[in-house]
Amino acid sequence: MSALSGGTKTAEKRPSRLRRLWGGFSIILESRVGTIGLCIIVFWVLVAIFAPLLAPRDPLSQDSDAINKGSSEQYLLGTDQLGRDILSRLIFGTRTILVLAPLSVLASVTVGTILGLTAGYFGGLVDEVVMRLLDAIMAFPTILLYLIIIAAIGPSAVNVVIAITFVGTPGIARLVRSLTLDIRTRDYIRAAQTRGEHPLYIMFVEILPNVRGPLIIDALLRVGYAIFAIGTLGFLGLGLPPPTPDWGGMVAEARKFIWTAPLNVLWPILAITSLVVGLNLFADGLREETTRYQ
Amino acid sequence: MFRFILRRLGFMLLTMFLVSVVIFLVSEVAPGDVARHILGQFATDDQVKLLRQQMGLEQPLYVRYFDWLVGNEWRLRNKVDMPLVYTKARPKDEIQWWAEESDGTLVQWKYKTSSGSLEQIRIAPDDSREVVDFEGWKTRDDGSQYFWGVDTAGHVVLWVKNVEGAGSGPAAAGRSLGTSGGQEYYPLKKGLLRGDPGISLRTNRPVGPTLARRLRNSFSLALIAFLLIMPIALALGILAGLREGSALDRSISLFSLITTSVPEFASGVFLILVLSFWLDLLPGASVFVDDTAPLQQPKLIILPVLTLTLAEVGYVARMTRASMVEVMNAPYIRTAILKGLPYRRIVFRHALRNALMAPITVIMLHVNWLVGGIVVVEAVFGYPGLGLYMLDSALFKDVNAIEAGAMVMVALAVGTQLIADIIYTFLNPRIRFT
Amino acid sequence: MRGPREVPILQIEQLAVAYATRHGDVAAVRDVSFEIHRAQTFGIVGESGCGKSTVAFGMVNFLGRNGRITGGRILFQGQDLVKRSELELRKLRGDRIAMVYQDPMQALNPAMTLGDQMAEVLIVHRSMKRSAAMERCKQMLERVYMPDPASVMRRYPHQISGGQQQRIVIAMALLNDPALLIMDEPTTALDVTVEAAVLDLINDLQNEFDTAIMYISHNLGVIARVSDEIGVMYAGEMVERADVKDIFARPSHPYTLGLLRCIPRLDTTKRSTTLQPIRGRVPSPTALPPGCIFEPRCPFARPACSHQPIPMREIQPGHWARCLYAEEILEHKDDLSDDMVNIIIGVAPKTDNGGPILRVKEAKTYYPVASKQIIGGQKQYVKAVDNVSMEAMPGRTLGIVGESGCGKSTLVKTIIGLEKLSGGEIEFMGMDISTPVSKRSEALIKDLQMVFQNPDSTLNPSFSVGYQIARPLRRFKTVPRNQVRDEVIRLLNMMRLGENYYGRLPRQLSGGEKQRVAIARAIAAQPKLVLCDEPVSALDVSVQAAVLNLLLEIQQQLGTTMVFIAHDLSVVRFFCDHLAVMYLGQIAEIGPAEAIYLPPYHPYTEALLSAVPIPDPSAEQKHIRLGGSVPSALNPPTGCRFHTRCPRRAMLPDGGAICEREDPPAQFDTDQHRIYCHIPLEELRKMEAVVTIEKEGPHVG
Repeated sequence: MSALSGGTKTAEKRPSRLRRLWGGFSIILESRVGTIGLCIIVFWVLVAIFAPLLAPRDPLSQDSDAINKGSSEQYLLGTDQLGRDILSRLIFGTRTILVLAPLSVLASVTVGTILGLTAGYFGGLVDEVVMRLLDAIMAFPTILLYLIIIAAIGPSAVNVVIAITFVGTPGIARLVRSLTLDIRTRDYIRAAQTRGEHPLYIMFVEILPNVRGPLIIDALLRVGYAIFAIGTLGFLGLGLPPPTPDWGGMVAEARKFIWTAPLNVLWPILAITSLVVGLNLFADGLREETTRYQ
Repeated sequence: MFRFILRRLGFMLLTMFLVSVVIFLVSEVAPGDVARHILGQFATDDQVKLLRQQMGLEQPLYVRYFDWLVGNEWRLRNKVDMPLVYTKARPKDEIQWWAEESDGTLVQWKYKTSSGSLEQIRIAPDDSREVVDFEGWKTRDDGSQYFWGVDTAGHVVLWVKNVEGAGSGPAAAGRSLGTSGGQEYYPLKKGLLRGDPGISLRTNRPVGPTLARRLRNSFSLALIAFLLIMPIALALGILAGLREGSALDRSISLFSLITTSVPEFASGVFLILVLSFWLDLLPGASVFVDDTAPLQQPKLIILPVLTLTLAEVGYVARMTRASMVEVMNAPYIRTAILKGLPYRRIVFRHALRNALMAPITVIMLHVNWLVGGIVVVEAVFGYPGLGLYMLDSALFKDVNAIEAGAMVMVALAVGTQLIADIIYTFLNPRIRFT
Repeated sequence: MRGPREVPILQIEQLAVAYATRHGDVAAVRDVSFEIHRAQTFGIVGESGCGKSTVAFGMVNFLGRNGRITGGRILFQGQDLVKRSELELRKLRGDRIAMVYQDPMQALNPAMTLGDQMAEVLIVHRSMKRSAAMERCKQMLERVYMPDPASVMRRYPHQISGGQQQRIVIAMALLNDPALLIMDEPTTALDVTVEAAVLDLINDLQNEFDTAIMYISHNLGVIARVSDEIGVMYAGEMVERADVKDIFARPSHPYTLGLLRCIPRLDTTKRSTTLQPIRGRVPSPTALPPGCIFEPRCPFARPACSHQPIPMREIQPGHWARCLYAEEILEHKDDLSDDMVNIIIGVAPKTDNGGPILRVKEAKTYYPVASKQIIGGQKQYVKAVDNVSMEAMPGRTLGIVGESGCGKSTLVKTIIGLEKLSGGEIEFMGMDISTPVSKRSEALIKDLQMVFQNPDSTLNPSFSVGYQIARPLRRFKTVPRNQVRDEVIRLLNMMRLGENYYGRLPRQLSGGEKQRVAIARAIAAQPKLVLCDEPVSALDVSVQAAVLNLLLEIQQQLGTTMVFIAHDLSVVRFFCDHLAVMYLGQIAEIGPAEAIYLPPYHPYTEALLSAVPIPDPSAEQKHIRLGGSVPSALNPPTGCRFHTRCPRRAMLPDGGAICEREDPPAQFDTDQHRIYCHIPLEELRKMEAVVTIEKEGPHVG
């Protein structure tokens, strides 16, 4: 905004923007549920950042003397079927998931926003074509789409991101489109049209900033879904190829040894559940507070 | 209203068409060679090329798409000059492609590597089978002899007398094709729309019957779950919505939020851990003997159903609650209250119908999600349903099975949406009378 | 009419209502007292947010989850309602006390038939059988003049028009013959001719039913027409209460006086009078002034006013006012206290040399609609604007009036290029502008700007006021880049907003302020023609006056030509030099404003004028009502489009058969005044004036 309005204004805008940021932040703290969610997210983000410091040992090193052992002084959460330290694998698994999930959501938000804005603003044939295509993608059960895509392009970190982006884009495009359809009828858009503004200016300068709020909340929820999906893909054997530490994959492996080492399956489950729940609590709290605020 | 439904039906067909294109493109144009995948990395390039030909992969994409969708025997019969039928020659045989002579005798041809000539397998209408040497070769202008026929593995093949084809690769990979010695191959297809999804690359048997069995199993699982989920979820949602902001509402909302957040594989494995490992109440994995009758062991499906229910109840409850809250704050409910109507009447006559209108479409859309849950749940519990079949096929890159399974799943999903739309029009007089 | 010793139906004593919010209780209504007798109508008038609806819902203790009555008594037929249980209240609601709401479409259940919704009132309160209840509902519908009641009862709300929906709601309210009828802005969502018919109905029913009515409205004209007694509310308090004639003749609270002085009336123009807006804005209920609540905005405020809350007192028998100096207010009514004094209205700049700046010739705007057939079928068009011709003179204002759906907005959007012209031509300063805005040259775009109706959507919520005013300056390079900021501040000052508004976001502004920013944005690039699409109709009257004054001032200073759309005939009369009256996509009558308001009239103009509620109980109005509803523009009537509803067709021989066959010719009364009607001008000239307002007597403003 400041870039468009020239230099004179940036100086006086700065405090208000900071205040707005704090305003948004304090809104979340008003909601107890949202605060709990935020705390869980911050916890996992910190774990991911400081993984090398926190993890007691190398997540890939195997100890053939300790296979499927329970908790001990040496291995706090025990070891898996290859004698790897579960705690360390959990900690490093945070990194995988917290990089891939936001990345894929970012990608689908970008693509989805452009598609949604275009379809919504121009309407007519453009809208019809774009939306029919997206409807076709949305007609797929999500997991099925993952199966097809991963079966086609093979399991890898990049392909998981591609698959999740592909699956997530239509939803975002639809959201942005419906918001755009609403905003398009506002008088300030008409005012811009009567000024003869270029459609790109109207789409990206006049409409996009007003789509921001719902889009952010939706994106947050989608980070939760993405983590959900990465875990599920890992569990189904369609996620990251071994030996990368990956929570879903850890559950799948430990599932085979549930009768000998039952707790091994519990830790990754708790990890992924807490992270997704945290994100959803946060997004929900945010949504509730922003609607109440308005 | 009929216009509306017809419109939706049109959209559904359009969607299905687009979906079939997407499925076909994604699975067929994917990087990596299916033939190479089947034959393994030790196969020679010639062998791979032959298999590609036999699978029809050398043909243009659009031809393959239409063959896949509507079949090609009505096109290929011109080459053979005889009607081609896909049938069981005798009651106990497997279903196969045959050429049909005018008297109803079914024939196939087989290449004899030793002599470089053809023999004919004939099955008369009275089920008698005989194998005879074949001498019906046709002659080209340059004198070479050729023949178009149907082989024993469902291809239309061009054989040239005394000239062997590109080796005998597929036989080496343990496939039932045998040596066939043809020059050109066109795999016969009846087409998905006509009920034949082709041969599974994984099991080398027709996809159709397996798919149908698995679909039935999944359907039973989904139906039980659905019947359990809906009443619970609607009741919870309506209760929470009526008491907006109360402790009950908050607990239901929080419970829904958390249960929907937990991935099915996590809750499934967790339930196994608690209910079968620690408490020893239920069997932990569904050890199904085969995929014909999973429902005969009811104890085995308790956990899968429970997992699905846990994952889905929250979502539906949340949608219902939101809609209920909106309706209860609507001006016409205010009117009803200020008309002095009793609370029950307000809820049942004025609120419910309007409140259920919005979630019905959303809930039905959510069938997609339920299907996803079923895939995971089947994987967790080893339940022999469509989801597990799809997963196995995906892991094996079994293109035919994936394509067929995907089309079935999408058709189901789109079909439920259509039903939801129709229910919606019946509930909503604004659409019913326009 | 009423015996003095009779127990009033409703007696409110010092009612106080508060809403619980995060920042503690907010007192929405304080110290409101009044009473309503049998067969009497008590009108409550006030601007938005003054608490009038809260009073209404407080009567039946329906204040939502966070509202509650914090003090006072509500005596209904002598019994206090405040402490009643929910069950007792439920038995009263819909039976003894009934309500009619602002938006009938919203108030009716979309998924139930109208018959069921009506009948259940009887089934629940009277334990009637369904068939008997239905029969009774049918009779009631006949009494509210609903055509074809039996079939209407089988329909759903969306299948009938707004006016009919309101008749249903009123009929439903009257089913149990209630003692008290609460009407909360029942005609606000309706067009003026429909409103007039509904108001007539309310009058008829009151005579018939003996019901006590509490009538809430923001519209002084409507209140003047229906009420016997009036209470004026401001910021949660009732500031004045008296007999209807008294209030208008001798307003004794500065706020009442202010309200009366800031509304334009049918007999006033910008040449004869100025509007006096009330300065400042309504205090937030969380930060009320310590003394008189109106003191910060009061032109007569004295030191004593701010010391302590002012009680209501009876200044004359039956006339109560919440002002220390109520007796002196009338003497001061002519003291012009506002800063608007310096505008000398009526001397419009003489730029009449040359022809019109805007010429619209036989313009047509059609929208294609999807055919009912699935395939094929003929393409149908909504003829939103059909064969419209008009001119705007430079430096003058051309007003366009008409009810909703008459095509006035579409016409303006076509002129500015937001809609595609389907036929005819539009000429601006001699150039052809029949093209959509995307195909127009930058210079042309700059010269045509628009002010929109809805203050809440006219500004982009994401950008500061300064940025939005600066945008046209940058785009059209009106001033050099480095002077943009100064120019914006100059414009802000011109709008009486001041420099400190530069960085504010739209959500920090009030409705009137937003509209001023929108005006600043429209005039920033110094356009020759500004199109105003109902710029004041969403604003409260006191704010409306300020915005109108501002527009007048701009026109004076810059000589801008304006096209001004409104549905309020008083505003248009006040503001415009020329007027076009539109009906169903066509012009019925066009000419100088003063000529429109006097005979000869087009029959539609006559009906419109007869329907306008006039905020003066002494005014006399001819009674002409239109039957039926506006036909669909998809399939408009042949010949004269008004013939299906025209009350004057009978003036023609053979009952006006020609009206159905032939398009009405333009008849020139003067060379500027054209009337499109088959009735000969001589006949039309014989009509009497619709409105007569006594010029003598107490005249405020």
